[in-house]
Amino acid sequence: MSNREWGHLLAVPILVGVASVASATDYLSVAEAQRVLLPQVQTFVPFPITLSSEQLGQIKRIAGVAQSTSQPKIWRGVSGGSTAGWVLVDEVIGKHELITYAAAISPDGHVLGIEILSYRESHGGEIRNPRWRERFRGKTVNDKLKLNQDIPNISGATLSCRNVTDGVKRLLAIHAVALARVG
Amino acid sequence: MITRCRPLLGTFVEITVPIGAGDAIEAAFDAIRHVHHHMSFHEPSSDLGLLRAAMPGDMVAVDRETIAVLRMAIAFHQATGGLFEVAVGRELVRSGFLPRKDIGRLSRFPGDTADIEIVDDRHVRCKRRLLIDLGGIAKGHAVDRAVETLIAAGIDAGLVNAGGDLRMFGYRNWQIYLREAGGAIDHMVVLQNCAIASSANLHNRRRHSGRTVGPHYGRAREPVLTDQRITVVADSCLVADAMTKVAMVDPELADNVLAAHRGHVLRQPAMATAA
Repeated sequence: MSNREWGHLLAVPILVGVASVASATDYLSVAEAQRVLLPQVQTFVPFPITLSSEQLGQIKRIAGVAQSTSQPKIWRGVSGGSTAGWVLVDEVIGKHELITYAAAISPDGHVLGIEILSYRESHGGEIRNPRWRERFRGKTVNDKLKLNQDIPNISGATLSCRNVTDGVKRLLAIHAVALARVG
Repeated sequence: MITRCRPLLGTFVEITVPIGAGDAIEAAFDAIRHVHHHMSFHEPSSDLGLLRAAMPGDMVAVDRETIAVLRMAIAFHQATGGLFEVAVGRELVRSGFLPRKDIGRLSRFPGDTADIEIVDDRHVRCKRRLLIDLGGIAKGHAVDRAVETLIAAGIDAGLVNAGGDLRMFGYRNWQIYLREAGGAIDHMVVLQNCAIASSANLHNRRRHSGRTVGPHYGRAREPVLTDQRITVVADSCLVADAMTKVAMVDPELADNVLAAHRGHVLRQPAMATAA
């Protein structure tokens, strides 16, 4: 590579002060995530379930973390009349962030993929405020997101994905107690 | 442009490519997963797990990329008089930043980077036992591999961001926002065809043996605490990532090393600081 191409590195780039940017990003709609996670699947059918208190207890025992809603968002991926995989959409709340993500789980209970659908960050107290969260919750599931817009690229402060990896353990537990025998 | 995001390398990895180039994203994520698999401190079956189980003089077979990263780590260790150190696993386990499970007594791991001997492109041995953690360099390498994968697939512009260590390619100007150590995003810089990495520890500290420590160690393996964000620009993300740790202690030394990599420590002009 010639020096000319890297000229911008020789001239020190100018830092511009900006008003604090709240990072809020939509990556994929639920429908897009389904296609990305299970590309071979023909149709995705909503699979509404209500977990009993006994099942919620089992999930907590298996996953080590509590499942907060008894009605998780689940789609059954169907190919040739049989279950090809499951897509579960879930959200986790960190100290400063609200993350909606989807996990694909195989019929025999293995994680096939994880995609982040949206990421909301706040340095105010909104994260714990249910009304603030509700503004975004409906959006992701309704597929009416303004997707594919340029997102802010941010350098700095490594964010832990531990909330999501713990969340996936919980989704695997949901599969084990409520979906594994559906077939 | 379209951006996808997955949890990998302990953080969130974003890959951005032009609309219509989405198919290439999968292979780029695979390249990152490969690094995650081989260079994770946490997995006993990773190359780092194999290396910490090995006795002095044992020949250990590892992935080619692990060798490439170790070669760079050794070069940086030499170029910085030992300031850049990948045998910090001992300190990070001791202070609770890394898990202790299966590791046993830390006094069994006295070695440092100078004890690592690269035998060939697939083999390494260590003169003394050591606990290698590639947290300060492997993320940058993973970003570079993902970028190389996208370029090889014919993608003409894109960006890969692994938890704040990022690299962009192609003839396109990118606005990169910088997060200060306290967490707020306060500055922006426009870059093209380079990598940028930041480190901070203001909000990543623990109490250990009666004192406050962070995940960064300097000379004599003393913890380095700073209230500032350290940002480095370079031609590769591996270099930028590694040099943030050096710049935290000695920015001039980091600049000397970075000169060979068309990079430098990004300093905040006084005007911008006041803004």
